[in-house]
Amino acid sequence: MAYQLYRNTTLGNSLQESLDELIQSQQITPQLALQVLLQFDKAINSALAQRVRNRVNFRGSLNTYRFCDNVWTFVLNDVEFREVTELIKVDKVKIVACDGKSKYSSNYCESKATSNLVFCWCLFV
Amino acid sequence: MANSANTNTVPKLYRSVIEDVINDVRDIFLDDGVDEQVLMELKTLWENKLMQSRAVDGFHSEEQQLLLQVQQQHQPQQQQHHHHHHHQQAQPQQTVPQQAQTQQVLIPASQQAAAPQVIVPDSKLIQHMNASNMSAAATAATLALPAGVTPVQQILTNSGQLLQVVRAANGAQYIFQPQQSVVLQQQVIPQMQPGGVQAPVIQQVLAPLPGGISPQTGVIIQPQQILFTGNKTQVIPTTVATPTPAQAQITATGQQQPQAQPAQQQAPLVLQVDGTGDTSSEEDEDEEEDYDDDEEEDKEKDGAEDGQVEEEPLNSEDDVSDEEGQELFDTENVVVCQYDKIHRSKNKWKFHLKDGIMNLNGRDYIFSKAIGDAEW
Repeated sequence: MAYQLYRNTTLGNSLQESLDELIQSQQITPQLALQVLLQFDKAINSALAQRVRNRVNFRGSLNTYRFCDNVWTFVLNDVEFREVTELIKVDKVKIVACDGKSKYSSNYCESKATSNLVFCWCLFV
Repeated sequence: MANSANTNTVPKLYRSVIEDVINDVRDIFLDDGVDEQVLMELKTLWENKLMQSRAVDGFHSEEQQLLLQVQQQHQPQQQQHHHHHHHQQAQPQQTVPQQAQTQQVLIPASQQAAAPQVIVPDSKLIQHMNASNMSAAATAATLALPAGVTPVQQILTNSGQLLQVVRAANGAQYIFQPQQSVVLQQQVIPQMQPGGVQAPVIQQVLAPLPGGISPQTGVIIQPQQILFTGNKTQVIPTTVATPTPAQAQITATGQQQPQAQPAQQQAPLVLQVDGTGDTSSEEDEDEEEDYDDDEEEDKEKDGAEDGQVEEEPLNSEDDVSDEEGQELFDTENVVVCQYDKIHRSKNKWKFHLKDGIMNLNGRDYIFSKAIGDAEW
């Protein structure tokens, strides 16, 4: 099972919205939509792992950190992202990271990435 | 170009993912007995939304690329012919003929502008139009306008698509296609009636309105002017000093309209002269118990005559936490990735991340590895 982490991205959200529209117009079933999303998970995971080859550095100040269900969630302030070609500055960024080594907790990762609610207060601001 | 690496790789990767997914689910669709056409519709919807989101530069559908190639390879005159073809293929509807002519003249100018900035909104506009069955003339109008026309103009499309192109006097282009404010404006639309002139509010053409609402609304940046056009596309020259205040004005005044009405309906506040602590809300009772001393001091400070004492300001300075939903319309910058190693030493954190998709300042970026430092 691939991480469902990437569903809350531009690519993933646009796919979900499109599927929702088709469900609304009853052109596909929700079950089919779910299958499509699962396929999307596999595709995006493998694409990122194989087809992307660039590095980014970043520096900022850490506002909050949270580690729950093997998912790290950070909120950083005044961050600079540096790629070879460009520099990107943001006031605030949220980073959601699932475990890169173990793929077994895909369900947790998906829920933590997409929801703001955290059921266990692991860290303190 | 500085960001060429990113603008090249991200659209390509997205495209390849889309192709992979569509091809992989084709079997599933067929197994379920769903027609291939639905699959194509899914793909089109997906690509359109990606383009609308403006998170990715560059074209994202084959149709777009064909159109761009055609425009780039042919000369202006030939472009007009092509656009004629496109017009005929697109929709029978036609806007004002004058606009058709101006569009064709302008389109070559837009191509020569040679900025991805121009291209991106073009593609999105095209997709908008294709999706919403706008007339080709209006499509070209919105396409062409950013580049070629010198005075600041705003384009109102007759299909109700919101497209606002502002070109400052100094030639800087600013293409404004707000989406959140579209939603906001939709609340306003019911209040606007054809032929009515509203109070100083910037009205915007809304996204495709369902039903037979005729495309209307003038979009004007200057808050003092209200234009209201009916049933035809108009180009309204305005003078705008800078684009960014305009955008702020648009969104701000867009908010004013719905807020004005509720504000008018509220009764004037009744001043309370006998101090706090007599309300029935639970919050206030708690505050009363905890902050008795503060209240006494505040009462003395405020003075008895004026008496207007509100509970909230008394304790509002005590709250240190910052708001989470500060800017309504700004994208929350999100990075979705996997972690290799997270390290902390005292308050120095080091992040080793991989395979991430970032959305920063509204744009998408991708990395295979990311290393970061932060101090808590």
